[in-house]
Amino acid sequence: MTERELQERLKSALDHAAPDDLDAVLSRCGAEKGNVIDLNGTTAARRRKRPRARSLIAACLALALLGGGGGAFYQRAYAVASVVSLDVNPSIELKVNRSEKVLSCAGLNAEAAAVLADMDGGRDLKGAKLDVAVNAIVGALVRNGYLDRLDSAILISVEDRDTARGARLQQELVASVDGVLQSAENTASVLSQNVAADAGLNSRAQKNNISTGKAHLIDRTLALNGDLSFDELAALSVEELRDLLQTGAPGMPIGQDAALRAALDFAGLSETDCTAYEVDPELDERTPCYEVELFVNGRETEYGVDAYTSQVIRGEPLPAVTAPALPRSDTPAVTEADAEALALADAGLQDADAITTRSDYDDGRLRYEVTFFAGGCAYEYEIDAATGTIVGSDRDRDPRAAQTVSTPEPTGDVGGDAAVAAALDHAGLAEGQVSRLKCEQDRDDGRIEYEIEFTCDGYEYEYTIDAATGAILDHERDWDD
Amino acid sequence: MQEAAKPMEALSPDRARLEALITGVAAGDRDALGQLYGAARGAVYAMAVGLVKNAHEAQDVTQDTFVRIWDCAGQYRPGGSPMGWILTVARNLALMRLRRDARVQTMDEAAWDAIPADAPGVTAEDRAVLQTALESLTDRERQIVLLHAASGLKHREIGQLLDLPLATVLSKYHRALKKLRVLLEGDDAK
Repeated sequence: MTERELQERLKSALDHAAPDDLDAVLSRCGAEKGNVIDLNGTTAARRRKRPRARSLIAACLALALLGGGGGAFYQRAYAVASVVSLDVNPSIELKVNRSEKVLSCAGLNAEAAAVLADMDGGRDLKGAKLDVAVNAIVGALVRNGYLDRLDSAILISVEDRDTARGARLQQELVASVDGVLQSAENTASVLSQNVAADAGLNSRAQKNNISTGKAHLIDRTLALNGDLSFDELAALSVEELRDLLQTGAPGMPIGQDAALRAALDFAGLSETDCTAYEVDPELDERTPCYEVELFVNGRETEYGVDAYTSQVIRGEPLPAVTAPALPRSDTPAVTEADAEALALADAGLQDADAITTRSDYDDGRLRYEVTFFAGGCAYEYEIDAATGTIVGSDRDRDPRAAQTVSTPEPTGDVGGDAAVAAALDHAGLAEGQVSRLKCEQDRDDGRIEYEIEFTCDGYEYEYTIDAATGAILDHERDWDD
Repeated sequence: MQEAAKPMEALSPDRARLEALITGVAAGDRDALGQLYGAARGAVYAMAVGLVKNAHEAQDVTQDTFVRIWDCAGQYRPGGSPMGWILTVARNLALMRLRRDARVQTMDEAAWDAIPADAPGVTAEDRAVLQTALESLTDRERQIVLLHAASGLKHREIGQLLDLPLATVLSKYHRALKKLRVLLEGDDAK
């Protein structure tokens, strides 16, 4: 069976095994797209999603802000009985009457305004039942990518003079929101909390364009660390505040925007170079950080940015992406023959079997992919056509060797220590620099080999060493995820 | 850099077609979603089954992926790799499911054999080749081989998708194919 035949068999098998039920997909698309929109009588204008996911909340606390808040009680139908706020990073506040009809819905910050844009800034929800309105808002949050991540969190706060009604509303809303998220197969969690409002809470919330529920979370954080600033904390998401509470608020995190900037600077990119990006606060990890994912030219690169120092602690720059594009030319500086000679020279060979060279563009640069066989090994090189730089290379056992039926009995054994030394030497590392060093003897194709693994500076190295000669048969360096 | 890459993308009819379909989906065109489903479901399933290692879960992830694409097609930026973007969505959903389940299911024979029972189009040959791929390859090898077979992506693009150097993709690919060939031809010989 040739390689092509095997590939075709695999493709055919996958096509047959893959589900083929478009109707099921379409039925879900229709339902999810219509949910929020139909209920509120607005048109189904699709909005470009902000690719940046925010947080959702964990564990179900109960937030019932008692007393304060709301406003004056005048006429029964128009009197505010409860104030319900939903916070992720967008902060949205709903005022409802005793019949649980929405009197007003307001986005308290710019992100909230964007989420409510499909609902005429929240005005479409006026007169709707509270649970319907909350479902609509949660649906919009999901569609806008705010609740995508596993550790995302949403905070529900209920403020009501009537303690029993506040508690019941809060319970119903938590169950309702949880149901919406589950039906969307969303794993974000729902957080609520019990809060006793104080006189200053509303004014502090209003000053910072946040809800009283979020203001209360900030007060709790400040109680752990009085050196922090209310105004700075107000800019954090609910998820970040939750993590701060859980970790004793050791300091002021740099925030998602600063983390993104740090990662972009480190990568040598600007925001416009990215097709999308995502920032995920991980303040409750052993090393609190922001995980920043940048999507550039279809490639996703992840960076870890220390949450308190802005230092990039994981990831690598992207020189290939930031280098200026060379004009494409019919006569590249390096010809195919040059590329083959460069590859052979690098491999220490005069000649080889079955040399094949393909040219391909990668990020706008012409590259040669040179493959050949020699001495029982298969070689692959990737060479930049403009500069002759070897941008990638690999040596592996010649796959054609599998055809051979018998191989001579192996003789000699350099020993595990020598094999490790050969691998470390090749990697340019000393034993003291690496961790998780493993060395195992293995038998493959009638040959005794040492399989050696170790990690260093976030990279995982794998070597296969011929026990008889100490020669490196195969090696790889991979990002250790 | 993106500007430099664009003329290259425009040369590929498959890419242009996928990109046009994603644009249609972003505008709410259900026919476009249907065509996109036909063109990419095999590749999405390959990505899903390579990660979740369970036939039924992979079918769920495949369906979820196209629902998610319906919701967020507006997020795709023209000029990129449409198949790479689709598979990134699939990969994220598969990883989310794994994290939600907080376990990686080992792919036992019973789970894999459940596919033919559910999918009448799966032949004995399909079963043999897929079962061998699932059982005998390492996680990375399986992902690379299945994606290359089903998605039409080049090794370089698979490397970008899985965040692996090209040389690693090539080496694992060749090693995996060698393993598969030996195993399958051994079976044929019987």
